[in-house]
Amino acid sequence: MHEFSIAQALADQVLPKVPTGARVREVEVRIGMLRGIEQEAMTMSWQAVTFDTPLAGAALAMDVVPWTISCGECGREWTSAAPFAECECGNATPTPTGSDELDLVSMTVEEGEPE
Amino acid sequence: MTDPRDAVRIPLVGRVLEANDTIAAVVRDELQARGIFAVDLIGAPGSGKTALLEATLRTLAGRRRPAVLVGDLTTRRDGDRLARWCDRVVQISTGEGCHLEAGQVRDALSGLDLDGVDLLFIENVGNLICPVGFDLGQNVKVGLFSLTEGDDKAAKHPYLVTAADLILLNKIDLAPYLTFDRAGFEADVRLLNPTVPILGVSSTTGEGLDGWLDWLDAPKV
Repeated sequence: MHEFSIAQALADQVLPKVPTGARVREVEVRIGMLRGIEQEAMTMSWQAVTFDTPLAGAALAMDVVPWTISCGECGREWTSAAPFAECECGNATPTPTGSDELDLVSMTVEEGEPE
Repeated sequence: MTDPRDAVRIPLVGRVLEANDTIAAVVRDELQARGIFAVDLIGAPGSGKTALLEATLRTLAGRRRPAVLVGDLTTRRDGDRLARWCDRVVQISTGEGCHLEAGQVRDALSGLDLDGVDLLFIENVGNLICPVGFDLGQNVKVGLFSLTEGDDKAAKHPYLVTAADLILLNKIDLAPYLTFDRAGFEADVRLLNPTVPILGVSSTTGEGLDGWLDWLDAPKV
């Protein structure tokens, strides 16, 4: 389960960037479909590695970048969750292009003291 | 009541695996400075990674000067097997880790005499998914599939196929006994990675090993 290693690496990257005293509401990452990251496993891993840290309770938002499928027959291009897809024109083997990005995007923090 | 605290969105720039990638870059630079070509061998459990390396090391004797790092969750069995054919082998125990990371490769290399070595094999933990995304400082990734796994494994593991610099199809000697659709397997590979070389090999009979060794001498990357 590579999700655990990735969640740990993510927490290690984000923790030093958390402003002192701030509560982190959400951390957002961009994940290419090629990475084969299972979102439930990633969420579970994130909760486990951030427990008892300043990131505890922060939601993990995952922007998943889908496959791009290009049809060489009719020129149609669309996105898909799976690499093997048939085109509407009947072409059974349009070309899949996947992305393997695994990037930080943002963190949302709450500042100021609660009333 | 609404939450009175203000939420601020702070943009972040960087790669999630930046720490691993930084170590991998150092490993790559050191290997390059020593003239060592590094191969990350990735395949499923039972695909024949260790058997392939045994046959490779046996055939390479006198031709190249290899070293081997081999990752497993536990046991030294693969390292012991490979040590029969190569005097520079380090077994990496990953514990619960399903893949190797660059820090483990760096640490293993620090305990290895690399003098005169020109080829490094890194046998990753048996797994078609997790190892692919972790840069180890290798020059090439080799994806190893085998006939006994079934002809659908390339289609089901697109990351390895797209990331591989070479696809090896092992256990081709078993073709008469199996219903492996090799044309279909290769068509799936071609769709995902149109230019990657595909070589059939048998670690048992030695068939195809010459092509693999020739590729190692002049890798098309």
